[in-house]
Amino acid sequence: MGLVLAFIAVGFLVYRRLLAGYPEADPRFVFLRRREETFLAATAEVLFPTTDALPLSGGEADLPGYADQYLQALPVRQRNLVRALFILFEQGTLIWPAPGRGGFKRFSSLSPHQRLVVLRSWESSGLYVRRMCLTALKAVLILGYVGHPQSLSALGLAPWKIESPRVEADFLYPPIGQARDRLLDTSRARAPSPSSSPLIPGVDQEAS
Amino acid sequence: MSPGGPGTGDVRVFSDYVSEGRDFNEEADVVVVGSGPAGSVVTYELAKAGHRVVLVEEGPPFTPQEFRADGNISMARTMREGGLRSTSGTLMPVLQAICLGGGSLINSAMCVRPPAFIFDEWCTRFDLARTTRADLDQHFDAVSEFLGIEPTPEEVQGPRNLLFRTGCDALGISSEPVDRNVRGCRGSGECYTGCRVRAKQSMDISYIPEAIKLGARVLTSLQVQRVLREGRRAVGVQGQVVEPFTGRTVHNFTVRARWVVLAAGCMATPVLLQKSGNLANGSGQVGRNLQFHPGSAVAGVFPRDLSPIFGGTQSYQSLAFLEEGFKLETMWSAPAALAVRFPGIGAELVKRFSEIPRTAVWDAIASTHRSTGSVRSRFRSMNPAIRWQLHPEDMKIMLRSIHVLAEIFFAAGAEKIMPGVHGLPDELHSVEEAEVLRDHPIRPGDLVTASSHVFCTTRMHGDPAQGVVDEDGRCHDFDNLYIADTGIFPRCPSVNPMLTAMALAHRQSESLKQRI
Repeated sequence: MGLVLAFIAVGFLVYRRLLAGYPEADPRFVFLRRREETFLAATAEVLFPTTDALPLSGGEADLPGYADQYLQALPVRQRNLVRALFILFEQGTLIWPAPGRGGFKRFSSLSPHQRLVVLRSWESSGLYVRRMCLTALKAVLILGYVGHPQSLSALGLAPWKIESPRVEADFLYPPIGQARDRLLDTSRARAPSPSSSPLIPGVDQEAS
Repeated sequence: MSPGGPGTGDVRVFSDYVSEGRDFNEEADVVVVGSGPAGSVVTYELAKAGHRVVLVEEGPPFTPQEFRADGNISMARTMREGGLRSTSGTLMPVLQAICLGGGSLINSAMCVRPPAFIFDEWCTRFDLARTTRADLDQHFDAVSEFLGIEPTPEEVQGPRNLLFRTGCDALGISSEPVDRNVRGCRGSGECYTGCRVRAKQSMDISYIPEAIKLGARVLTSLQVQRVLREGRRAVGVQGQVVEPFTGRTVHNFTVRARWVVLAAGCMATPVLLQKSGNLANGSGQVGRNLQFHPGSAVAGVFPRDLSPIFGGTQSYQSLAFLEEGFKLETMWSAPAALAVRFPGIGAELVKRFSEIPRTAVWDAIASTHRSTGSVRSRFRSMNPAIRWQLHPEDMKIMLRSIHVLAEIFFAAGAEKIMPGVHGLPDELHSVEEAEVLRDHPIRPGDLVTASSHVFCTTRMHGDPAQGVVDEDGRCHDFDNLYIADTGIFPRCPSVNPMLTAMALAHRQSESLKQRI
């Protein structure tokens, strides 16, 4: 009986640590679970705070939405690896706790200051693997944040307006996943006048 | 399948196999596995000679509407293992393409002929007689003429490339515009995510369409899982149709051929041989001797706006340090992808992002001859297990290259650099501060590196006991089995390998034409 109670108690604690207390997931997400969404939002908030340097903060850049798109694009094994990375950081405070009271809480439950300290400890760790994990996490989020249209426009790095000229190969390959009847028709396809003049920053870029 | 054969070349895509709804067989004179630069050259040259060639490629063809500007999404779609392939031992990301055209679709189009001393070393150390620079120049010329390889013109260099020249000139270091397989570059800097200008002459828009005109059949979305053999002859390949991006398999296929050319890449070719019953491995060298060109990048911030979005992706280089073991070059990528290497968390990180318009990134690729590894097949997977260890002496070379880059940055007028070396300050503000790079006691893992240049896993060697293929790329153990990718390089070539791989493939084609 005592063993059963112990199992139940452990099960409850594991459930509480791993799953309980997260808000409902945004229904638009295909892969992202509510705990992952919460973790990413908490990370984005401290990784990219509101400053004068860029017009939007991490919290405003919808990085969970970006991560969901990224997970969709990945093969299954790599998708699981990225999710494992999220879990590692969310639960990693059990091994590398934040300073101060409640430092062993899940990462997303820590105060912003504690989260900042935790991320800095990963970045300056003597363990190469820890630093690489942080680089990987930053990579996912930075590509979403700096790659956000508002960030790019503010930096003068909005994408080029390029109308791709037709080349012979464009009439050989249908769009990926689509049938051959979606091939460009050589007799009807409009060929944009190919310009070979160098692009001009600020002129040939998309409007902000 | 629709009719094929000489003069009726075509390309098949995933939806074709789905609509046909069954397993299928093909026959050809030659089957080429892999549509990267080397495989495409072989396909074209043999088709031009009138042979029935089937080119098999695991990835799909991409057109401009398929390109994605976002670095993560683009890599997930165009690279093996979603762009997250890495080595064990010394942990390092390894970027390898899975698409029609292979790496040429998403590389920076750098075409560099290794200097003669590189090939002399190959010949001396690996018992090769016909692989000098003079031997290969005719093949370099043939490929260069086909692709229109020329130095990057001044008008599409942009400030971040030209500053590299300024810095080199100030220090008396030789530098030059990069030769590229590009026609009509507009300086979009989008080479890594697919050239929307259609200027880059990647294989999917250059060699492959020409090969199709000459009768080659191109079968995409086919994963070759086994080389078929009868006695000491290869008789074809076998595998499954795979759906782009998901990897879902739907049908089986077999291509029977009198000649088999494996050009699947330095990782996939040895795995394929291992999965085929340890084929062509009398020497025991298949999958061994793995080498890379690990790259390390340095970001420098200048006092003025560089409009870094404009300019060739990698358009200026210096070969001055090749004999020391590294090559210097400029680089650009999706801005957010470059920002990944910025140090810091929080406000300091965001501040560095705001400096991107004033930032140039230059990198060094190192010839790490002492750092070797292996490629092994995995159970129930065609993805390799890659082990590689960065040697301490090679790390010193990499640190030296970072120091030289720092000097060039400051000579060009940078106000600070981010060296990206763990244990050193995040930023260095003068050439004097950069002196810490000179004697820093570097350890494994202090550098964040990555590589897309992979070599030597099926190396050529004059001695069949020490190499997998001979100078023509023919497997020592199999009369009609050839390998045409960077795996046959006996050592890393110290420069970007695409052109060398194509030149060697061109030579192989000449040999094959005579033998078929």
